[in-house]
Amino acid sequence: MTVGGGAGGAPSAFDPKKIRMYGLVGSVVGIYLGAILNMALNTNVFSFVGAVAAIFAVVMGANSVRRICAYGIGTGVPSIGMLALGMGIIAVMFGLSVAETLGFGLLGPIITLVYAGVFGYIIGVLANKVIKFNIPVMEEGNADLSMAGAMAILGWSFAVSGNLGYFDIVKNVLMTGYIAIIFIAGGLAILHPFNANLGPDEKQDRTLVNAIMVSGIAMIATGIAAILTQGLAAGLLQLVIGFALWFYFFKMYYKLVKRDAAAVVGTGLLPPTVQ
Amino acid sequence: MNFDINTIVYILEILVGGLLVGIGVHFVPVGGAPAAMAQATGIGTGTVQLAAGSGLTGLLAAGLMMSVTDNLWLILASGAVGAGIMIGSTMLTGSWIYAYAVGAPFASAKVNYDPITGFSQPPYVAPGTVGQGIPTICFVSGLIGGMMGGLGGAMIYYPLYLINGNAALSAMFAIGIFLVNAVLASWNIQGTIEGFHDPKFKKWPFAFRACAIASILLALAAVLITGGA
Repeated sequence: MTVGGGAGGAPSAFDPKKIRMYGLVGSVVGIYLGAILNMALNTNVFSFVGAVAAIFAVVMGANSVRRICAYGIGTGVPSIGMLALGMGIIAVMFGLSVAETLGFGLLGPIITLVYAGVFGYIIGVLANKVIKFNIPVMEEGNADLSMAGAMAILGWSFAVSGNLGYFDIVKNVLMTGYIAIIFIAGGLAILHPFNANLGPDEKQDRTLVNAIMVSGIAMIATGIAAILTQGLAAGLLQLVIGFALWFYFFKMYYKLVKRDAAAVVGTGLLPPTVQ
Repeated sequence: MNFDINTIVYILEILVGGLLVGIGVHFVPVGGAPAAMAQATGIGTGTVQLAAGSGLTGLLAAGLMMSVTDNLWLILASGAVGAGIMIGSTMLTGSWIYAYAVGAPFASAKVNYDPITGFSQPPYVAPGTVGQGIPTICFVSGLIGGMMGGLGGAMIYYPLYLINGNAALSAMFAIGIFLVNAVLASWNIQGTIEGFHDPKFKKWPFAFRACAIASILLALAAVLITGGA
């Protein structure tokens, strides 16, 4: 029952443990860095750091989608991306709200991360033990996915609101409805790379570069939202950086596609019809 | 948030809502990619998309009803009917395409006689396929599934709104709970299902157990969040 890159785990050049470490450290440090810079300098131009931090989480999530889906889950890759975002959004709301209630607003990302990891692991155990999937990487893969979804949503929410406080995020991201854009753009960034690249010739670097490329598009979207919530300077900076990231990684992705394709030929215009 | 008898009621309501979503997914005739090519019965897309579509419509219908009344039964009915209309119109317009554009006779490959109409099915199943279109039994099953999903969505949304009083927050949180339960259930189905007459339907107790555990954990997190703005 194999859909993707072959049973027994997809071959990978980068070790999943390393990607997980970079993803977690990069996203947490990035979100805190953006929040502290914004707070210390009393500005909001550093909101874009949150969107960059989300990219680290997205790469980790895309890699774990690739690891799980290589075994074939029978319901399509999008289902697992939606699960990641579903678990993520609950973890973000829970983490930020509990941190605010406890009086330590800055602890939010840590509580979010811990809840997401534990809940994702439990979902993985349920999938293996109760639903009887018997996919060896299900538990750690789901924990990774849940943490990646949570950190991506948190990073982009910070990029839109410019502040890590629970009330600010509820007011600027949830009540305005931008959370829906973050939800779908984030879901695409995590699920689309493997969905687009799967097959016997799937290569890890191509899939992950695709993830960064889609994150760039998501960053353009959060930039437009940030123009409306934080003003022109912060939003435009984010939009331009997002566009630059998308452009650079689109070219890199195209190069990788050409590397892996048997042949790239132009079809030209529509052929003239033969009468 | 202080714990009292209401908190336990909220947790139970979210649990029942999550279970309704998880079981409701099993009723929806999901065809996936084969159905999109009219080579299998059901609607030509994945479980999660259908469940999310009907559930979110139910959520919106429930939220709209909640803005004018706080009667639980009216809100639940509105959610169920909203989701039922959504899944019903999807199946109806899908049927038009299968009937008039693809030109396939509707037939189920899982039963010999349609349990509702009593019509014979095997003569109409094209060789090499597992049925086509959306036969009556699948349509009825899909309506039941959609209404269960909408009922579940409304049942999750209602206590969340009472806990934090913030419609946007409750809706997003409800979507999260909804997606987790829908994906667990769709993993249990593993691909395609025709409805309650499909042999795969007998696997529902596994999804019931998995969704129960997941919903309890989600409900415990849900009663801790505050409204914010």
